[in-house]
Amino acid sequence: MKNIIEVKNLTKKYKNLKAIDDLSFEVREGEILGLLGPNGSGKSTTINCILSLLNYSGGEIKIFGKKMNVDSYDIKRDIGVVFQDVAVFEELTVYDNIEYFCGLYIKEKDVRKKYIEEAIELVGLKDFIKFYPKQLSGGLLRRLNIACGIAHKPKIIFLDEPTVAVDPQSRNNILDGIKVLRENGATIVYTTHYMEEVEILCDRVIILDKGKIIASGTTDELKKLANIEEKVSVEVMDLDPKYIKEIENRKHVEEVVYQSPVLMITYRKGKNNLVELMEYLKEQKINYSRIFSERPTLNDVFLELTGKELRD
Amino acid sequence: MIVFKTFLKVLNKNKFIVILYSAILIFFGAFNMQTSDSSQSFVSSKPDVLIVNQDEDKGITHNLIQYMEKHSKKIKVEKEEEAINDALFYRDINYVIYIPKNYREDFLSGKNPQMNIKSTGDYQASLAEMLLERYLNVASTYQKVISEEEKLIEKMNETLSKKVDIEVTSKLDMNNLQRASYYYSFANYSILAGCVYIICLVLASFLEENVKKRTVISSMKEKEFNRKLLLSNGLFAFVLWLLYAVVSFFLVGDIMFTAHGICYLINSFLFCFCALTLAFLIGNLIHNKNAINGIVNVVALGSSFLCGAFVPAEFLPDFVLKIAHLLPSYYYINSNELIQKIEVISLDTMQPVILNMIILLLFSILFSILANFFSNRKRKVG
Repeated sequence: MKNIIEVKNLTKKYKNLKAIDDLSFEVREGEILGLLGPNGSGKSTTINCILSLLNYSGGEIKIFGKKMNVDSYDIKRDIGVVFQDVAVFEELTVYDNIEYFCGLYIKEKDVRKKYIEEAIELVGLKDFIKFYPKQLSGGLLRRLNIACGIAHKPKIIFLDEPTVAVDPQSRNNILDGIKVLRENGATIVYTTHYMEEVEILCDRVIILDKGKIIASGTTDELKKLANIEEKVSVEVMDLDPKYIKEIENRKHVEEVVYQSPVLMITYRKGKNNLVELMEYLKEQKINYSRIFSERPTLNDVFLELTGKELRD
Repeated sequence: MIVFKTFLKVLNKNKFIVILYSAILIFFGAFNMQTSDSSQSFVSSKPDVLIVNQDEDKGITHNLIQYMEKHSKKIKVEKEEEAINDALFYRDINYVIYIPKNYREDFLSGKNPQMNIKSTGDYQASLAEMLLERYLNVASTYQKVISEEEKLIEKMNETLSKKVDIEVTSKLDMNNLQRASYYYSFANYSILAGCVYIICLVLASFLEENVKKRTVISSMKEKEFNRKLLLSNGLFAFVLWLLYAVVSFFLVGDIMFTAHGICYLINSFLFCFCALTLAFLIGNLIHNKNAINGIVNVVALGSSFLCGAFVPAEFLPDFVLKIAHLLPSYYYINSNELIQKIEVISLDTMQPVILNMIILLLFSILFSILANFFSNRKRKVG
């Protein structure tokens, strides 16, 4: 896969503060690249710099092999953006809004009409085309925001936290829509601080913190950085502290935390940790109501690398 | 086309405000014109004169005092110097004539006696001086040929009482011309307020921060977008001007079909263009819909007051007029007043009006450049 976006040594300063610090990465054709990081980590600033909406202090940005700047209208033709804040006309209906933003790219009326209908279909707003933005719920408004950004069928789509403050139904609809866009051949740059979305959607992930890349790779590659194998949670009432000590001393156990009624055991290695734990609980005649195991998350990776949670 | 189409849709969504605002402004323009006092009457002005007579009150001296009292207001002031000086200072009197002792005798003997004068030096004082000079010139002329005092006074009074009838003739209906001038001067407020309010309202939607971001990252060139937006706004401004012009044909139709009427139309059209570019500049600077009303008041109402749209310019203080020179409204209203005063329209008589029109065009160019500059600056942040 060839690189469609190349960012080299990108730096953005606000007086003495470095919002982006020597950032280098590339986006490959047809992939969904996730930019993951807590609020203020530089995700939106990076996108705004790539789109030439912001001046940057240093570095180079190339899209389709050409240097991207304010007047790169031939490149802009193939870019779609869905901003974090809803960007629509209050005075226009759903259909008219999509038509206007699509019309900034597509001049042919018939082609535009077809594209608009496809965008409406994709985001599931068919029943709301005559509604004004004020009449839409937060979730529907987000879908309209997406339709306005992708109706002209761009090759690259930047989605900047498109699911913030969205109900589960709209969120699923949006995530399904993004998968369809990728299946149709679009390359997507997706910024979020929801790690679950990144795990569901993204082929590769870049984790940002304080304007720097702290890790990148596939989700599996990143999870290896967490340095833990699995986390087992057991619901058990009034556990005797002596058992906690015993569990701590068991093979592969990294950490044991008991906050009644949840006992959380973190394993650094091992394949049958869950089975062995269940046998131990049975031998000690410890009654438990629920037990389950989970693989490390990207939050664990972030925690491992920065010492803080993604949503701190 | 999509920009124009969307402009019309946004305008349509605000149609109630647009129609109401335009109708009110045109109505007020027409109402203002109808209520303006169009009658022109002349009342002779009489200066306040004090005569301090040190001569005997008889003969030529008495006649002089009578003449001056007839053509001026006689003011009673204590004839002490301090009281007279105070009265002059406070403008209770404009002119003091001191008739010297033996004036009559000296005059009749051809000695040309001099009178002491004190004056405030203002317009009224000049008027009094003219009266006195007129009297003395006539008296001096007759004194050279008539020696008998009684006959001299009789001849002088005969000459001084003669009046000249002046008839001002004009093919134009001066009353209607003045009404047209009022109507188009009021248009300064109507056109400016209409353009600034509506254009800023629509631009606030197009240039809302997030919507603008989408526009900037689109493949439509910035210049092309601005040009289309300006043309769309221009169409609205043109319709507003057209409405205003059509109403003037109903109100002062006989003037509008003359060369004067065409001058008013051209002048208002140029001003409308200038108002459009100014509105476009303001719209590019301020995107807050809640601030628009305040801006309209400052820009339209402020410049209308400063430049004489409501109050004639001659009543405005000098420093206000100096400030007004910085505003396009001044040149527009000044042109309306000049057009009203021009008897025959020709290239020569129109020169000051043409100069004002050129200044309006220069203002338009300046506003366009500034709008473009600020629009480009706002494309990038940070």
